[in-house]
Amino acid sequence: MPLDSSTYALAHLRVDGRRWKELRRIHGQMSTQAAADGSSYFEMGNTKIICTVLGPRQPTKSGGRDQSREAIIEVEIGVAGFSGMDRKKRSRNDKRTQEMQYTISSAFASTVFTSQYPHSTITIVLHVLSQDGALLAACINAATLALIDAGVPMQDYIAACTTGSTASYASNDEDADPLLDLNGMEELELPFLTMGTSGGEDKVNVLVMETRIQMPRLEAMVSVGLDGCKQVRNILDGIVREHGKKLLSSR
Amino acid sequence: MTSLKRSYASSTTPSTTLSSKTYLRTLRSGKVQKVVRELYLRQDIPCSSQLCSTCIDLAPAGFHGKQDPPVLSATPAGTTQYPQGHYLVPDTNAFLTAMDLFEAEDAARDVIVLQTVLEEVKNRSLPLYHRLIALTKNEGKRFYVFFNDFRLETYVTREAGESINDRNDRAVRKACSWYGSHLQDAVKARQSARCPAVVMLSDDRENLRKAKEDGLIASGLQDYVSGLPDADRLLDMVAASRDQRATRDEKAKMVYPEYMSMSAMLTGVKAGSLHQGTFSVSPYNYLEGTVHVPAFDRPLIIQGRENSNRAVSGDIVVLEVLPKDQWKAPSSKVIEEDDLTKNENAENEDESAEGVVTEKERRALQEEVKRAHGKVAEGKPQPTAKVVGVIKRNWRQYVGHVDKDSVRSEAKQSRAQQTVFLIPMDKRIPKIKVRTRQAGDLLGKRVLVTIDSWDRDSRYPVGHFIRSLGELETKGAETEALLLEWDVQYRPFPKSVLDCLPAEGHDWKVPADTADPGWKGRRDLRDLLVCSIDPPGCVDIDDALHAKLLPNGNFEVGVHIADVSHFVKPNNAMDKEASLRGTTVYLVDKRIDMLPMLLGTDLCSLKPYVERYAFSVLWELDQNADIVNATFTKSVIRSREAFSYERAQLRIDDQSQQDELTQGMRHLMMLSKKLRAKRMAAGALNLASPEVRIEAESETSDPVDVKTKQLLDTNQLVEEFMLLANISVAGKNYSAFPQTALLRRHAAPPKTNFEELANQLKVKKNLELRSDSSKALADSLDTCTDPSDPFFNTLVRILATRCMMSAEYFCSGTQAYPEFRHYGLASEIYTHFTSPIRRYADLEAHRQLAAAIDYEPLDASLQSKSKLEAVCKNINVRHRNAQMAGRASVEYYVGQALKGRVLTEDGFVMRIFSNGFVVFVPRFGIEGLIRLRDLGGGKEVESVFDAEEYSLSFGERKVELFEKLKVRIEDEAEEGTGKRKIKLSLV
Amino acid sequence: MPREADPSNNEREFVLSALRENVRLDGRAFDQFRDVDLAFGEEYGAADVRIGKTRVMVKISAEVVTPYADRKFDGIFTISTELSPIASPAFEVGRQDQTEILLSRLLEKTIRRSGALDTESLCIIAGQKCFHIRADVHVLDYDGNIADASCLALVAALMHFRRPDVEVHGEDVTVFGLREREPIKLQMQHQPFCITTSYFDGGEVMLHDASLLEEQCREGEVIISINRFGEVCQISKYGGPPIDGLSILTCTNMALEKAKMLDKVVKAKLEEDEKKRDKGGLMAELRADNEREQG
Repeated sequence: MPLDSSTYALAHLRVDGRRWKELRRIHGQMSTQAAADGSSYFEMGNTKIICTVLGPRQPTKSGGRDQSREAIIEVEIGVAGFSGMDRKKRSRNDKRTQEMQYTISSAFASTVFTSQYPHSTITIVLHVLSQDGALLAACINAATLALIDAGVPMQDYIAACTTGSTASYASNDEDADPLLDLNGMEELELPFLTMGTSGGEDKVNVLVMETRIQMPRLEAMVSVGLDGCKQVRNILDGIVREHGKKLLSSR
Repeated sequence: MTSLKRSYASSTTPSTTLSSKTYLRTLRSGKVQKVVRELYLRQDIPCSSQLCSTCIDLAPAGFHGKQDPPVLSATPAGTTQYPQGHYLVPDTNAFLTAMDLFEAEDAARDVIVLQTVLEEVKNRSLPLYHRLIALTKNEGKRFYVFFNDFRLETYVTREAGESINDRNDRAVRKACSWYGSHLQDAVKARQSARCPAVVMLSDDRENLRKAKEDGLIASGLQDYVSGLPDADRLLDMVAASRDQRATRDEKAKMVYPEYMSMSAMLTGVKAGSLHQGTFSVSPYNYLEGTVHVPAFDRPLIIQGRENSNRAVSGDIVVLEVLPKDQWKAPSSKVIEEDDLTKNENAENEDESAEGVVTEKERRALQEEVKRAHGKVAEGKPQPTAKVVGVIKRNWRQYVGHVDKDSVRSEAKQSRAQQTVFLIPMDKRIPKIKVRTRQAGDLLGKRVLVTIDSWDRDSRYPVGHFIRSLGELETKGAETEALLLEWDVQYRPFPKSVLDCLPAEGHDWKVPADTADPGWKGRRDLRDLLVCSIDPPGCVDIDDALHAKLLPNGNFEVGVHIADVSHFVKPNNAMDKEASLRGTTVYLVDKRIDMLPMLLGTDLCSLKPYVERYAFSVLWELDQNADIVNATFTKSVIRSREAFSYERAQLRIDDQSQQDELTQGMRHLMMLSKKLRAKRMAAGALNLASPEVRIEAESETSDPVDVKTKQLLDTNQLVEEFMLLANISVAGKNYSAFPQTALLRRHAAPPKTNFEELANQLKVKKNLELRSDSSKALADSLDTCTDPSDPFFNTLVRILATRCMMSAEYFCSGTQAYPEFRHYGLASEIYTHFTSPIRRYADLEAHRQLAAAIDYEPLDASLQSKSKLEAVCKNINVRHRNAQMAGRASVEYYVGQALKGRVLTEDGFVMRIFSNGFVVFVPRFGIEGLIRLRDLGGGKEVESVFDAEEYSLSFGERKVELFEKLKVRIEDEAEEGTGKRKIKLSLV
Repeated sequence: MPREADPSNNEREFVLSALRENVRLDGRAFDQFRDVDLAFGEEYGAADVRIGKTRVMVKISAEVVTPYADRKFDGIFTISTELSPIASPAFEVGRQDQTEILLSRLLEKTIRRSGALDTESLCIIAGQKCFHIRADVHVLDYDGNIADASCLALVAALMHFRRPDVEVHGEDVTVFGLREREPIKLQMQHQPFCITTSYFDGGEVMLHDASLLEEQCREGEVIISINRFGEVCQISKYGGPPIDGLSILTCTNMALEKAKMLDKVVKAKLEEDEKKRDKGGLMAELRADNEREQG
């Protein structure tokens, strides 16, 4: 069995050899599925997501006479059976997945200019190919790229990442370092939160935390998270610009 | 569609290179998982040598901006082989075999612990891993953990066909070579001449050879140590630890033998080829158990883990006797589980190379056998057996604490399940493997666990955690622990009991109107001058006495017992609860009641100055204290005074007191002395058990001192009349209910029980102990004296008491009349009648007596032999447990009273083992084991054990049985059980 | 699908402009809760919470079952939530809607994931028998803030509940009736409370305990679960307009104050209930372990 996060204190190195403020390798591509209105492929370490965006289009659900003045954002997350360490089928109705869908949908509802598309639906479909931590964050980032690819007008990117803390909630270890972008193994052991930012300096759009942690430790985590989101945003921006360049040059 | 090819170029941080690691992992369930993990290889991991200037600014600081200073000294110590100074790079086996060496204060400084090695150590032995981590935190030792698998230059990928061990060895060599050249560069940069050598330590020949090939400096452990100053002493540490691991590499997957089928066992037992009995483990040697079976007079011996085959102390097992040539002598050695198994891993037991029986345990027992063959006297081989099946598990809840070393991650947050060892307080119970998510929270706590199962392929039983009792060594937790350990019901009475209490509560009174139904059949004895004599502070007064001179010169003597059966009707909720509890348990500072307080300390209690219902035994005794006649009656009495033993004694002795009450007490005193003399003449035993009293500070109730209890004549006064009452009632009940009287017997001990003690006395003191009858025993005990030492006689009596059987309750229909005999009291028949508030047996006897005198009809439950038997069985257990809990409480308080003190006291050697001896200290009533190892400062001392002469010599010293010696008493928190214990040592 | 009627534009404007002038329609301060009322039922483990007009009832029950094969050493603890038409016409029978899913996830994260209830202590014989503790959360009346109310009711009910005592001997298990033996309290590791902060105007206005109308008008919410020791168990800010990172920390600080307040309410009510159950002080008579005077 390899070492776990308890050895961090020995040399400030994490289980995969990173330092506290380093992101994993991030890789993204746009327009990967020609059939969709917008699509992207996104990797954060070994977490791999394919995202397709359909719409804006007429609501497909039959009978629904939609009176709303804004576009509805639907999110579907499919987790591939082979994505985790154990082959496990996660049903679409799993509450955790539904909660994630809701989170992504309401995050984009406030960033996309939905009022421009009344009576219509934008569907974001996310396929999780591989999981190794930061699932929600990777989904959000992938969706951002796909929405841009689809040409849906948005106020800003939503850039997301996770932050954790080396020490557990009860040990009053003042030297606890916040950690950026946890991998799957670290997520199992350490407290962490997922954070998404958009709309300028330090504006938090999504913040989800599911593990117990002492309040004083939150501050460092949030500030490191904001910094991480900024880094992610730059990377996303780079990907978009690269893609744009390619598009223009291929014309 | 666009391709999804990876772009490796887009790495996030420039200083790292991505690699990935894929490995397979087998889960407990047998499922195989494939794990893929990323690895970020970097070049900013410092070498941490103070020589190197390039590495100093290399490592980025943590969030708090703290940077670790370089660890390794610029001028490491030199040895004869490496005069220029050296850094050590030990491989995994070096740490596993010679951790003691690395921990030695003056050796092995400036050590580079490679990540590869650290991981391997963690896998092989968690406790050693924890020790290693502790070393890295010890600044003086200068141990540095170098994460070689994260550094680009030293990272090694496993090649096809390469074993994981070979890969790790290669990683170690690679790291060594990198360090070597890195340091050379650093030294060049500083332009200094002295470049320390990087020495790889390994005992693997192949690895050493390859290292030499690569031009590395490498050395075997032994060679290295011989080059050090003080080599001899250090070599000892290496050698000692090395042969413990002799057979480590053989992968012997052993499992416990399978149990026989239930039917095969039953047939075997019936046919006499197998034997059934209760398994009990020796408190001194966890690998040896004994079972009493009817077919042999001596208990069968079961030695070793394999033979005891998963039986836990208390289980009812079926045994097969081994062939005669495999018979063994009972162990004369102290073996403690903790000593042998402390380096085991709880988590992945199956990865350890050894089977169920570890090499260490085998050796511990083998030494035993050798000795047994050499000496014959004590070591006479006894029938030895192995367990072939378990009829009934007697697993209960066990109190213990979590073995600190078995905890993988102390992080409290970690929700990951870990397997940890729980060490039970009871040394006879093996360690229990417990899977829990709260390991961090449970450290340092008293916890309660149960055993769930013990499978064939698991060395230890598996259990689960129930709850935590609180911090170790706190009064609350320790008290609760001992109550649980002895299965004492301390929870509140259920609410349904409320309905069984008199509605008047504390205002209940004996009805003034004698026409009241409560008065029916009661004699009005309110005018008798009754008093009670009890220990000071007693609130549950069971008994009161009176005596008066009759005109004919005889005496009327009355023993009045609280009439509990009036309040506790058979088979109601309160009765059920009481029968379950069986007895009130007295701890040093607490009383766990059998009956609710309202009854126990108020309505039933024969408090002075108030009228109370009683059950009276009235005798007419003549001047010789012979019984002229006896009557039994329910009554109403009014106690005139509640005396303490001491006050009663003073009153009797004070000749100025001439009132009738005092006169009555003097009559009682006179009669009791005659009764006692008669009893002694009949062969009653005067046995001793050490009793001490804890002096507590009145405000904080913290124990401050320990005193031996003093016995007064008044103690014996009360005792004699209680015995008399019990005997009279026993006779009455038996004549009324020959089949179902609840009686108490004390079987004569089998002759073999005294053999050892008799032999010891003969050899050491040339005294004769005869045990043919209780009379003979009593007489010979009187002769066992040592004129130079008055305590010697008491010591012999204490030892004799341990050879006895224990007294038990029984139902008269289950035994023949001669078997009724109470050996210790030398009485033909006996029961318990005089303490119904605190013993359930007495309550039952009251009911039977009430029926015998036609006061009320007998409840059906008391007429059924089978039901009574069940009651007896339960109260026998409860009675014993209550005694044990009481003793444990005293032990705890003695420990607290002695806390932080160092005293020197006289002690007596009670028992001798081949590697230690037991000393009894009369002043505190404690006995403790002194191990030779403790005398030798942790190491086994060369010693000669003479089983024939009961002596043990070591160095200049020779310790003999019964020897009086001076011991130093200190208190010590025992690592094994987490108990604060008294530690004895020789002065 | 029936929906809660949206407030009219005028109504919405009215609420918002009042808030901008530091006024809530019911006159409360921004961080003030409506009256919190907690009552326990006759049986152990029934709690009834009212916050203003919102009313939630929780009932805990226990039964002995076989544990899950992959969690042999744990008991089972499930929380089921039900939003029925009783509470509001917006809720339908038998159909899980968004609110219900979010609520049940929230309770799940707050109570279960944070380890508030120690499930290991529910194990009787590993792999064979364990307790299944089931919490049924019923929302009876819906006037906003059901998250806080449900969580409070759930924690109170868990603390109030007693499970039957069991005894294991060898491999036999005896479960004792409530009258036979005093039932046992559940082992709670800590008591987390859910505090919802609703925000308006990009975090300019922050409200605690929003009423239904306020909820309908709000931009978004931050739900924080925290115990009185200041351990945050869960934070949920599902999308919505972005707010300052700093204001989330402010939210946590305020939530801690509120959690301490709710904790006191629960403790006080439990004590009151305890007293009520102790008929005329007779419970003291049932104590079995008593101080012994030392002599």
